[in-house]
Amino acid sequence: MPMKKSWLRDYIIKRLFYAVFIALGILTITFILVRIGPTSPADKYLANIAARGQDVSQVVAAIEARYGLDKPLYEQYINYVGNLVRGDWGWSFSTSMPVMELIKTHWIYSFQLIFLSSIFAAFLGILIGILSAVRQYSKTDYIATFFSFIGISIPNFWLGVMLILLFAVQLGVFKTYYDTSIPLFSLANLKQLILPVITLGTAMTAGYTRYTRSAMLDNLRKEFVRTARAKGLPERTVIGKHVFRNAILPLITIIMFDLGGIVFGGAYLTEIIFGIPGLGRISFNAIFADDYAVVVTVVLISAFLILMINLATDITYTYLDPRIRYD
Amino acid sequence: MTSYVSRSLTRYYWERARRNRLAVGGLAFILFLILLALIGPFFTVDPTAANFEEKNMPPLGFTIEESVYDLETQQFTTKSITGMRQHPLGTDNKGRDLLAMIISGARISLLVGLFATGIAVALGTLIGTVSAYLGGWTDQILMRFTDIMMTFPFFLLFVLIVFIFGPSLLIIVLVIGLTGWTGTARLIRSETLSLRTREFVMASKALGASDSRIILAHLVPNVISLIIVIATLSIPGVILAEAALSFIGLGDPSVTSWGMVLRAGQQNLDIAWWVAVAPGIMLFLTVLAFNFMGDGLRDAFDPRSAV
Amino acid sequence: MEKTILSVKNLKTYFFTKRGIVKAVDGVDFDLLKSECLCLVGESGCGKTVTALSILGLIDTPPGRIVDGEIYYDDINLLKCPREQVRHIRGKEIAMIFQDAQSALNPVFTIGDQIAEQIKLHLGANNREAKARTVSLLEEVGIPSPEEAADYYPHQLSGGMKQRAMIAMSLSCDPQILIADEPTTAVDVTIKAQILDIFQQLKETRQMSLLFITHELGVVSEIGDRMVVMYAGKLAETATVAELLNNPKHPYTAGLIRCLPDMTQVKDRLESIPGIVPSLIDPPGGCLFHPRCDKALAICSQEEPPPVTVDGEHTVYCHLYSH
Repeated sequence: MPMKKSWLRDYIIKRLFYAVFIALGILTITFILVRIGPTSPADKYLANIAARGQDVSQVVAAIEARYGLDKPLYEQYINYVGNLVRGDWGWSFSTSMPVMELIKTHWIYSFQLIFLSSIFAAFLGILIGILSAVRQYSKTDYIATFFSFIGISIPNFWLGVMLILLFAVQLGVFKTYYDTSIPLFSLANLKQLILPVITLGTAMTAGYTRYTRSAMLDNLRKEFVRTARAKGLPERTVIGKHVFRNAILPLITIIMFDLGGIVFGGAYLTEIIFGIPGLGRISFNAIFADDYAVVVTVVLISAFLILMINLATDITYTYLDPRIRYD
Repeated sequence: MTSYVSRSLTRYYWERARRNRLAVGGLAFILFLILLALIGPFFTVDPTAANFEEKNMPPLGFTIEESVYDLETQQFTTKSITGMRQHPLGTDNKGRDLLAMIISGARISLLVGLFATGIAVALGTLIGTVSAYLGGWTDQILMRFTDIMMTFPFFLLFVLIVFIFGPSLLIIVLVIGLTGWTGTARLIRSETLSLRTREFVMASKALGASDSRIILAHLVPNVISLIIVIATLSIPGVILAEAALSFIGLGDPSVTSWGMVLRAGQQNLDIAWWVAVAPGIMLFLTVLAFNFMGDGLRDAFDPRSAV
Repeated sequence: MEKTILSVKNLKTYFFTKRGIVKAVDGVDFDLLKSECLCLVGESGCGKTVTALSILGLIDTPPGRIVDGEIYYDDINLLKCPREQVRHIRGKEIAMIFQDAQSALNPVFTIGDQIAEQIKLHLGANNREAKARTVSLLEEVGIPSPEEAADYYPHQLSGGMKQRAMIAMSLSCDPQILIADEPTTAVDVTIKAQILDIFQQLKETRQMSLLFITHELGVVSEIGDRMVVMYAGKLAETATVAELLNNPKHPYTAGLIRCLPDMTQVKDRLESIPGIVPSLIDPPGGCLFHPRCDKALAICSQEEPPPVTVDGEHTVYCHLYSH
């Protein structure tokens, strides 16, 4: 049981402030990127309007007013941040609804994919990692290490395509695209999520296996393991409680650290391949419709999510490791 | 404890030897790839040359049944198409030779891998060493900036920037390079921090060497081995990133890269599966090769770091 | 005559490595009597720790293996009985404490948890009972404010406290035998004295046998009843502490005692035993000590010395006494 740390509350508050600082940094960078681009949101919008044959000059005026493009840069920035905070995330003209609305209807698809994949990967990966470490140099270990190497190296988008090729096209077991008419909390939905979860989860599992194995091996060598055995504890308690509880500390940080790279990028691609209408896919569609607001917002949302997860991980780690102390 | 060489130590050396075999294999593959990229184009046709007569041909040695609409009989008949030596890997639905496309893809991947990684590692090393060495406010600011950059999901950032600035190979290389330095910066920084307090640095300072001289002449050479390992292990991610971008359609349309081929392949999965299989295998093998080599290098430079 | 509670006969524990077979323990016999403190003495690497680990079956089995011998605890041969049975004995009947308390304790659990864990496992106690017993154990070893101390993590305790906590942990199920592997070696002098006091106290209050491993003769003289001297995996000499320290028969033991600085005399140089410990993979023939022995006979390089009972309980393994 972790100890009561009186300084933990202050630490959390400090970290929260820091998180806000990072959030502002993210917003600033995104803002700069958008503004220094060769084409501005207005231009893209304009191109669309012109294509539809409407009167350009009127629309230009409206846009300038709407986006505040006639105002000085810093004022634009303040409006931008202010809008975001107030919940006005812009208008998606490719779908004719506020971006917020779009997000609300589609986030669940991304969430279910990422959530299921993470659970699958965590369970499988950690289990294999522990087994691999406890039976180091055995056949189990070699096979597990071999597969984890493959899992990390296989391009996940290709894996998705191959799975579709094999199971949907050749064998016909699954459909080649995601059917949104199926209710979310049904077995049929779970079935059609199998291939996407495998696609996204494979690289994650491989990573977790490697890290768990490494963390377990580090701790299996330690003295307290011998003490635990000398106390007459059954081996499964020695490994599962004493060793694992120590191994989990670096594991948490490493796992969360990987989130930005593998999970979000992978989910983006997986959604596109399988036609799952999550945030990744709608952002992708928005690109080809030149719908700036959606593209930018999805990037911001993922960045903020990562920020929050990092924060949570930091605090969890501090809470779990009794030796840490910041004050 | 009694002094003995445990059997697990023996296994450890065996592991290293085995790893090195894989690392050597990886190196061999990469050299092969480089060779392919350099001289391949002289032996194959233009990868962009469309030839509708010969579309959807399977690789050499394969035969597929294709359903063809015969204009004369006004019906669908099945026709057997066998792979030709002219197109050893087959063709896609526009009749482009797959082998040529794969070779072109090899060039692109290696180029992007080289340059983007180069930029990322160089930038990361610079920021890492300067930050660690100068410390104080410089360190704080640089590290905060690194923290901010690291919070972005990398791939989405790529997509955003390509969206804003346009899908050209230059942009792709730049964006991957200019966003991928964060991990390197952190690692190099911590390594430099531990080096900074070593005697030879203090000796240099005592002799009056300037900061930049110390950084360039003393610190950087000591982190070279770390840099090499980081670079080798970063290349696969870079190659995959470019491939992923091309795959979803945000790649440079004027070049043929593996991602682009995969994209074409996915669209015709039912009638020409080989178009999707070939680039994937190449990507997979390339990534595997760099991973093996990177692991082998890491073991060679620091036997303590084993996974 | 006290009852024999542990009997080690001809124990041989070897480690199978690529470079050869390391004979860490090669034919060791001794008995541990009830309520006595038997000291296992020798230089580092002589096999004393391996002997202790062999008793509890804690040898890492891929490289190591107990190849021969019998260890009788209460009529049970520990080397022949099923692992589950040995596991039940570990911690409950025979407990062991290790040299470095900081690394021997699990850093992520409180010491109270670690002690209670054993109580719950072996004695079937519930949380409340286990906690109560933990507190009384901590008190017994002299840890102040035992109720609060139980909620501390190992890194929050000082070196001496950690050591006491480990002792408390080992006592938690009232073991018959406590094996202590160099508990005073890694601590400084003041704490060493405290720890020895605790052991003295335990000897008096509990009817517990103590197998005390150390290389420090001073500690042996304070706390030991009988002692066994080991050299390079084999026995050199066995006797009561008083007898052996006053009347060492084996040249090695004599040498060890001579090495102790004598505060009452003025000397220019400290004594030492010339030479180094032999390789356990490629030992010299005959008596393992003969290359360093100034009294070596011809037979010493050819035959291993048999045990000779010199005087009551005093046994020597040396050719000087074998005829």
